Amino acid sequence: MKSPLLENERFVQIAAPVFVGFLFLLLWEAVVRANEMPEYILPGPLAIGQALIEDWGVLFHGLLMTLKVTLLAFGISVALGTAASLLFVQSRWIEVSLFPYAVLMQVTPIVAIAPLIIIWVDDTTWALTVCAVIIAIFPVISNTTLGLRSVDPNLLSMFRMYRAGRLEELVRLRIPSALPYFFGGMRISTGLALIGAVVAEFVAGTGGTQAGLAYLILQAGYNLDIPRMFAALWLITFTGISLFALMVWLSDLVLRDWHESALRVEQ
Amino acid sequence: MTQSKATQSEVVVPMQSEPASGGKAHILGRPVVDVHGVDKVYANGTVALKGVDLTVKEGEFVSLLGPSGCGKSTLLRLMAGLGEPSTGKLNWWEQEYSVVGQKGHKLAFVFQNATLMPWARVRKNVRLPLDLGREKGPEAEQRIDQALDMVGLSQFSHSYPRELSGGMQMRVSIARAMVTEPNLLLMDEPFGALDEMTRNKLNDDLLRLWKANGWTVVFVTHSVYEAVYLSNRVVVMAARPGRVIDEVPIDAPYPRGKEFRVSTEFAGYCRRVSEALEVASQQGEEMTS
Repeated sequence: MKSPLLENERFVQIAAPVFVGFLFLLLWEAVVRANEMPEYILPGPLAIGQALIEDWGVLFHGLLMTLKVTLLAFGISVALGTAASLLFVQSRWIEVSLFPYAVLMQVTPIVAIAPLIIIWVDDTTWALTVCAVIIAIFPVISNTTLGLRSVDPNLLSMFRMYRAGRLEELVRLRIPSALPYFFGGMRISTGLALIGAVVAEFVAGTGGTQAGLAYLILQAGYNLDIPRMFAALWLITFTGISLFALMVWLSDLVLRDWHESALRVEQ
Repeated sequence: MTQSKATQSEVVVPMQSEPASGGKAHILGRPVVDVHGVDKVYANGTVALKGVDLTVKEGEFVSLLGPSGCGKSTLLRLMAGLGEPSTGKLNWWEQEYSVVGQKGHKLAFVFQNATLMPWARVRKNVRLPLDLGREKGPEAEQRIDQALDMVGLSQFSHSYPRELSGGMQMRVSIARAMVTEPNLLLMDEPFGALDEMTRNKLNDDLLRLWKANGWTVVFVTHSVYEAVYLSNRVVVMAARPGRVIDEVPIDAPYPRGKEFRVSTEFAGYCRRVSEALEVASQQGEEMTS
């Protein structure tokens, strides 16, 4: 049995998971109907879809708030994280002195310190952003530092032989070598920025015009409006997947000419 | 500690007196690299080199041949100024290392792997030494064109390294070395990873370029045939500790071609060098036992 569509790698890559997702939703709806489950315990996908449409105004506003914090946190993480890595590779001393504190930030549970940060930082958006940065920055730092150090030693010898300065070594050799690692770090970091934004909002419990998706979930929980809760959850998931896909696309765009990760193996 | 006086084999390095044949007529005899009584001991106590003396003269093609661990690559790296000897000293053009890089005293190094930047196209890889030396303008561009032309890769200047075969990548690496118009070319088993056909082809290319550009070449290899085919002089080294134990002048005239590879003269030289190498590995064994 040969079908040109199934031979197409790209089509299969998209179609297969979509098909599995569709099957899952079908099964979900069937289980809910067969057991006559009440909506406040487990709503079916159709009910959730309905909530998504009916509450779109509130949900979309929440999505924008959460997205704002996520993107701010991600941008700051990438900028600060890269700056920290560049600093670390300048001197072993700096790295040895500061790296443990980067790890410290990574292992501190954000829920535990979020209340403090919310007290310290007046503006809610910024308070949430700081929380999200604390967990999103680490993969950028660790990956980029590793990348900046993973340089072909012979190429490095050659640069030294032609008497290249530190800056040239960094710009022409270390930074290009680090790019694949850097993009790897960014992929992890987008997801963490989103998680950070949502977790921080749960702790902060910000309502009103600042309400993001997390607050909508909390509120829907109090009101036993479970379909809306699921709708908000779907939106968070969808945002996470989209950001990840965007990062994959971006990394592919930059690396596809030369890096192994972006090469397509021809069969 | 070993009794260094007792174990240090007194090797009299036969200095070449007079050019024996037309093949070396262009050797002017001015030393390009001088290695004086060099020892290299690594931090872990490994003696990589012991009492090495070697002079490479202008226009010469010298091969360093020996079993693995004889320190031939270490010696080559010292000649490139990549690292310092533990004792003894090196001179370049009878001066200190600081002279290297100045006009008429340029040095290039070709590694065992092509060592290209995978993110840069062929042309950008070749121009790297010029970029680092801040050489720009039409003259630099012309030299890049020339280098690419000489290694036969003009049509591939916009390819990425991964699009090329191993042999072609090596040729890019040689073009990159050529572009600075080096006076001394140091090559560390550059063709070791290639198949024999490609290797023979590149050997011929290298000899052609050496003649055309008036380079002085020091070439590290573990192939007897390659060493004999290419060199004016084969320096045989032994391991544990790494040292020079013999030198075999190869007085066959250039250009050397297919006929030379199958000649009795070639076979004779190979035999002579192989015997020296045999002695080298035996001495290495004795040292360890």
